[in-house]
Amino acid sequence: MRGFLSPKAVIGLTLVGGVVLVALLAPLFIAPERATQMVMTARLQPPSLAYPLGTDQLGRDLLARVLLGAQTSLMIAVSAVGISIALGLPLGIVSGYFGGRIDNALMRVIDALLAFPALLLALTISAVLGPNLQNTIIAIGVAFTPFLARIVRGEALRVVQMPYVEAARASGTRDGAMIVRHILPNIMPALIVQTTISLAFAVLAEAALSFLGLGTQPPMASWGLMIQASRQFLDIAPWTALVPGAALAITILGLNLLGDVLRDALDPRSR
Amino acid sequence: MKRREFLATTTALGALTLVTPGRLLAETPVAGGTLVWGHSETTQNLDMHQTGTASTSRVLQNIHNALVTVNSDMEVVPQLAESYEVSDDGLEYTFRLRAGVMFHDGSTLTSEDVKYSFERCADPETGATNFEVFNDVAGIETPDELTVIVRMTRPNAPFLARLAENGAGVVMPAGSGDIQGTTPVGAGPFRFIRREFGNEVVLERFDDYWDGPAHLERIIAREITEPTVRLTGLRTGELHMINDIPAERVAEVEGDASLQVLTWFPLNFDFLNFNHDLELFQDARVRRAFDLMIDKEMLLQGALWGQGETTASASFPNDAARNTDITQRGQDIAAARALLSEAGHPPGSLNVVFKVTTNYPYHVESAQIIAEWAREAGVNMTIEQLTWADWLSQVWVDRDFQMTMMNFFTIWEPDRLYFSLWHSTGGFNYRNINVPEIDALAEEARGTIDADARNALYRRIQDMVSEEALDVILWFRNGSIGARSEVAGLDTLVHPNGSNLNFHKVWLRS
Amino acid sequence: MAYLLTRLVSVAITLALISVITFAITNVLPGDVAMMIMGTQSNPEALEGLRRSLGLNDPLVVQYGRWVGGILTGDWGTSLLFREPIGPLIAQKAVASGLIVVLAMSIALALAIPLGVWAARHRDRWQDTSASSAALLGLSMPDFFIGIMLILLFAASLGWLPSSGFVDPAQDFIAAVRHALLPALALGLGLMAHLTRMTRSAMIGILNQDFIRVARAKGLPERTVVWGYGLRNAIGPVMTVAGLQVGYLFGSIIVIESLFSYTGMGWLTYQALLNRDIPLIQASIFVIAAVVMLANLVVDILYRVVDPRIRLG
Repeated sequence: MRGFLSPKAVIGLTLVGGVVLVALLAPLFIAPERATQMVMTARLQPPSLAYPLGTDQLGRDLLARVLLGAQTSLMIAVSAVGISIALGLPLGIVSGYFGGRIDNALMRVIDALLAFPALLLALTISAVLGPNLQNTIIAIGVAFTPFLARIVRGEALRVVQMPYVEAARASGTRDGAMIVRHILPNIMPALIVQTTISLAFAVLAEAALSFLGLGTQPPMASWGLMIQASRQFLDIAPWTALVPGAALAITILGLNLLGDVLRDALDPRSR
Repeated sequence: MKRREFLATTTALGALTLVTPGRLLAETPVAGGTLVWGHSETTQNLDMHQTGTASTSRVLQNIHNALVTVNSDMEVVPQLAESYEVSDDGLEYTFRLRAGVMFHDGSTLTSEDVKYSFERCADPETGATNFEVFNDVAGIETPDELTVIVRMTRPNAPFLARLAENGAGVVMPAGSGDIQGTTPVGAGPFRFIRREFGNEVVLERFDDYWDGPAHLERIIAREITEPTVRLTGLRTGELHMINDIPAERVAEVEGDASLQVLTWFPLNFDFLNFNHDLELFQDARVRRAFDLMIDKEMLLQGALWGQGETTASASFPNDAARNTDITQRGQDIAAARALLSEAGHPPGSLNVVFKVTTNYPYHVESAQIIAEWAREAGVNMTIEQLTWADWLSQVWVDRDFQMTMMNFFTIWEPDRLYFSLWHSTGGFNYRNINVPEIDALAEEARGTIDADARNALYRRIQDMVSEEALDVILWFRNGSIGARSEVAGLDTLVHPNGSNLNFHKVWLRS
Repeated sequence: MAYLLTRLVSVAITLALISVITFAITNVLPGDVAMMIMGTQSNPEALEGLRRSLGLNDPLVVQYGRWVGGILTGDWGTSLLFREPIGPLIAQKAVASGLIVVLAMSIALALAIPLGVWAARHRDRWQDTSASSAALLGLSMPDFFIGIMLILLFAASLGWLPSSGFVDPAQDFIAAVRHALLPALALGLGLMAHLTRMTRSAMIGILNQDFIRVARAKGLPERTVVWGYGLRNAIGPVMTVAGLQVGYLFGSIIVIESLFSYTGMGWLTYQALLNRDIPLIQASIFVIAAVVMLANLVVDILYRVVDPRIRLG
């Protein structure tokens, strides 16, 4: 496991660990009201001692908002990826394991769905359902499902063709048992890598959706919403965009690094 | 707080404030030139009868003329009609048309065009926003080429005033209905050249305009919805003028010696709404409690950076029907808490959803501020920001909401304002307000020809709206225009309705 | 030939599926366009009149049939909101988006390939570390955030480039490129990061192969070995990835065009979605999906042409 000692791994783990820690701890130390409290006499203040990261157009403390925003971001990303796994894993396994007509039909639909850019799909779903926290999660989760199903199917197909699986099948092992005992454990590494990368994408997608007004709702502390609000004040108060933007970049960078490290360590094909 | 200071720099329409650094008055206009206008919104369906958006009307104002219009005192004056007469019983309107008025398609205005336009507007199949204006019309006669007689089934006091808005009183060439949506044709000072959708609308001077040709050769209305981008364009000289300067930047632009700033109110009024179908908001104590939570002046500062004027009545400042005796409730969180508790909603027990549309970003800001005050008053308020389409479908049509916020442009005519908004059957009564006394007052006013008596009735309605907190009237928002120093004639630009822009007398210094 | 034929049949099936999915999604959208046209000036009767005049009351199956029929015969219908024929509208907006997509792709490839090769040649040394880190950082920045920083730098501070708007290249080519440059950069930098990583890993794989060792042993100059032999073999996978990224780009243009008020396909789709202009939503989503699918097909075919090792199946 040399990958876990590399500087890449250390940085990745530190960043992700830091963000997760902030997401878990910030709500304990910062009262949720801090994110919405407004001081009309301190609007668009640059960073100062009183406001280390400055304030936004309603005089809200950006430090409190950006820290509390970590929870929003991660919660949405984890739930959305959870949904896409819950939907995509069974679909992919059924398709890859049973093959034949089921596989053909499923993959045709998946291919058609994959032609829709994930963000466009999420945007459309969110427009259909109406934007709020729960629907944002569903929209992102569903939009990522075809991608995940495709990956899982590919892995399942690879595993099914392995000699020991064919041997097990020849010895009469039932499908359910086969899937649980042989297929699932063998696609786990690829799934873990994919999950990490998907998390990065989901954080990004949430920000983009909120940025377009079809994601989380104000006054919730959400990085995408903060960037959206900052657009109007870019030239007079650039920090209102830079603060949430940096938070997003740090989180996604951490997840990408972790994804790289995990791939090097777990994915048999990349070795 | 800054109210006094603010009043010094902005006045009600009719006396617009124009900050024009170092310019002499009484210049002779120069003809020619292309004016590039950074328009704040995207134009949509260009059919004057069908469109209901202030943004599209703003552009169409220059393409169309109506039979009559209003002056800055909100009095009806002739436009395409040379004169008009109303019979004493209010049942017959006779319009005498100007002779030799040309349409952009080369045809000459006749009584047939008026009949065609009015009948098209009245036809439910057209889907005209103002079709109800003609509800009491029994028939339209054209005894000769330049005379139009409109007969009514019963007196309809606001009829003439309603015709003064282009949406109802516009005259289009007979038979042009099908092309109006994409290539509008009218009798206005500019003709429509083309629209590159979402990007720009191009208008050109109509040399045969009956009231003398405009000065400008061409107007390019570039549709730039991002406020800061508009401002940057004005600064760099890509644009000659912009409407709707971002509220937080007005002071800064006023300080810029190379730019002129024109501000006025009302551009529109804003108000906070409750859904009166819900048991919760049938209780006047609850409505008053929400009213009491709001510091209107502070909200105006917070959401609009002070670019407006708080008001307790939705009537235009220069409207004779305006009730000047009513005032807004001041903020009193403790009283709001007490009222809510009295109504059976102790602190922490009330959850309210506030729906706002992202079409007006300052509504989203307002909602966030109000939610903070609601929290202090022990109410848990959740915000749902909706796209314009969703707001229209959920709030306007399905009336599926608890609280919301909206604004109205150009509604200066009191019947339109009070009947549509507060009568139980009013077309704009999406709040399900049902107060029999208001219904009676609004109906009585509609049939009352005497102006003073009629205005008194409208003042009673304003009293009730305020007293019962049926809605919370917040403010008149300022309109603003920023222009480069070479743009002249800005004082003639804003239509009395506060929203439309008239480019007829605007010109460019060379 | 047989391959092409099966491929084309499969493309047709996928396109049909795409049309069904598009139609299904768009028909569950709430709200309707009659309301949008009238806005707050509408009332129920006027609304019903407008709905009839726009023909919004037909059954769904009829509408789907009419829609597919229209697409096949080139009649794409009329945007309900803007009252303009959709075909020309999309054609016009596709030119705008085409400009930024091509620019973005060119910028990304022109920068990513040398950078990736350079990193691979100096594997695990500081060159590699810095190139790879930069790529990873680029990959981690949301493109709209990159866009905001570009606006801050090039438009707000330096004033070199316009921060928004679209100019028709047929009218003024220089102005068109100037307007397209910042959105293209915002799109291209993320893509470049991705392609740099791809080039690097493909090159590392190839530089380890025997024929490279042979070439080196023969005493060929390192430049020829790397850029000639190495890159020629790496370019296939890199182009494939680039092709596959077309889908990603078309997702991103929605955000980027909205940020830069650049009126292309992404902007059009977003406006259509916000305004419930269902015919326009259907057409633009369908076109985007079809373009993405066709881009993948082209890449696939090119790959087979370029790389003779791959044969049927």
